[in-house]
Amino acid sequence: MPLQFGCTARRSLARVLQRTAANAQRSPTALSLLQNTTGATRHYASVPLSNIPGLKLPDDYVPPTQPPSAKKPDQRKAQLLRSYTSMLRSVPLVLFFQHNSLSATEWAAIRRELRAALAAVPPPAPGPDGKVVDISLAIELQVLRTRIFDVAFRIVEFFDAEAETDKSNVYTHDLSATAYKAHKNAVIDENSAYGQIRALFSGPLAAVTIPLVSPVHLEAVLKVLAPSQPNFPPPPRKKNPGYYDPIAQSGLQKLLLIGGRVESRVFDPAGVMWVGGIKGGLDGLRGQLVNMLQNAGLGLTSALEGNSKSLWLALESRRTQLDEEANGGKKAEEETPTP
Amino acid sequence: MITRFITEVKTKFNPFSTSSRAARLFLNYLPPNARKSGMQITTQVLPRSATGPSLLYVKFKDGKEMDLDCEKLGIKGIIEEVDRHSRALQKQADLADG
Repeated sequence: MPLQFGCTARRSLARVLQRTAANAQRSPTALSLLQNTTGATRHYASVPLSNIPGLKLPDDYVPPTQPPSAKKPDQRKAQLLRSYTSMLRSVPLVLFFQHNSLSATEWAAIRRELRAALAAVPPPAPGPDGKVVDISLAIELQVLRTRIFDVAFRIVEFFDAEAETDKSNVYTHDLSATAYKAHKNAVIDENSAYGQIRALFSGPLAAVTIPLVSPVHLEAVLKVLAPSQPNFPPPPRKKNPGYYDPIAQSGLQKLLLIGGRVESRVFDPAGVMWVGGIKGGLDGLRGQLVNMLQNAGLGLTSALEGNSKSLWLALESRRTQLDEEANGGKKAEEETPTP
Repeated sequence: MITRFITEVKTKFNPFSTSSRAARLFLNYLPPNARKSGMQITTQVLPRSATGPSLLYVKFKDGKEMDLDCEKLGIKGIIEEVDRHSRALQKQADLADG
C-alpha cells in the first residue's frame, strides 16, 4: 500500500508542476480568471499550500507528505463531522436519546419496530403539484459519536462561512482552519442554542432525525421509543406482538429520551411531546389559523359595520322623530287657528 | 465496576444541567443484562426548569443503601464508592464459596 501511495503522490506532483508551468505562461487575464474560480461555493477538504497570488494548486493535488487515508471514506472522522454538520443544517427535527449499553440485536429490534410504526402513518395529502412527499423512509435512528457531534454543533452555531468569503485565500468548508478557529474561540452564551443543549452531549447519545417538522411522524416515533400515558400510548399488544418481544422491550427500557432540537430551538422531553401532540399536524395548525382569521374577519366587519349601522339607526330614528314633530306641528298649527 | 451485588438503582436528573452527567454515565456503566439479572432500575427525567440536584440511589444485596452526591463525587468518585462496598461483598462471597 505505501508504495502505491508514493506512486500517486509522485504522479500528482508531476502533474502539479506541469500545470503551474502552463499557468505561468498564460496571460494575466487568464490568471485572474483562474483566481476568480475560488469562489464562495467551493468547499474542498484540502490545505492551501501557497499564498502566492496566481499560483494555485489543483484541487486533486495530493501532498507527498500527506498521502490519502487508508480508512474507508465513510468511516473517517472528517467525513463523520461533515455528515453531522450537514445533518444539523438540513434536518429541522432531531430527538436525542441516551442509550445505555444496548446490544446489536436490541438495536435491530428497535429499528424494526420504528420502521413498522412509521409505515403505519398515513401518507400526507399531495402537494399543490400533485406530488406526495413521504418522509417515513427518511426517518432514521442513529448512534452519534458524541464528541464529534459536539464539535459539529459548535461549527454549525458559531462558524459563518458567508462572512469569511471576502477574505482572500481562505477555505470556508467545515474542516478548514477557519472553521476550527471560529468554533474554538467562540464565546458561548448560555442562552444560545448550543449553550442550552451542550449538557446533553456527554455519554452515549443516539438521535432520531426527522427531515420535516411533522407532528404525525413525531407522534409515531414517540409512541414507539418513549411511550407515556395518556398522550403517547405504546402500540397495542395484539396488533404489534413484535413490540412486546423481550429483546425489543429490554432495548426500549435502556433508551431514554433526553431532549430535542426543533427548528434550531432546544426542547426538553415535555416540549418534544408538546410538538408531537399538535393535532392534525401542520395542516391542522393551518386549519386552525384559517379558522381564527376567518372569525376575526367576521368580528372585524361586524364591529366596523356596527358603528355606522348604529349611526344610521340613530339618524333614521331622529329623522322619523323630526318628521313626526313636523307633521304634528303642522297638525297642531292646523288645529290651533280653527278654534 | 462490580455490579453483581447491586439490586436497585434509582436515578432522577435533569439532563440539561451539568450535574446530571455523573448520574447519566453511571447508568451507562450498568451491564446490558442488568435488568434481566434482577436489578431494578428506575430513571426519572426531570423537566428543564428543574433546579434540584441529581439523585442517585444504589441498594446492595446486603441491604446497604447509598445516596450518592453526583455533583461532588463525579463519575469516578461514584464508581470508587460503589466498588469499595462491592469488593467487601465479593470477599465475603468468595470466602463463603471456598
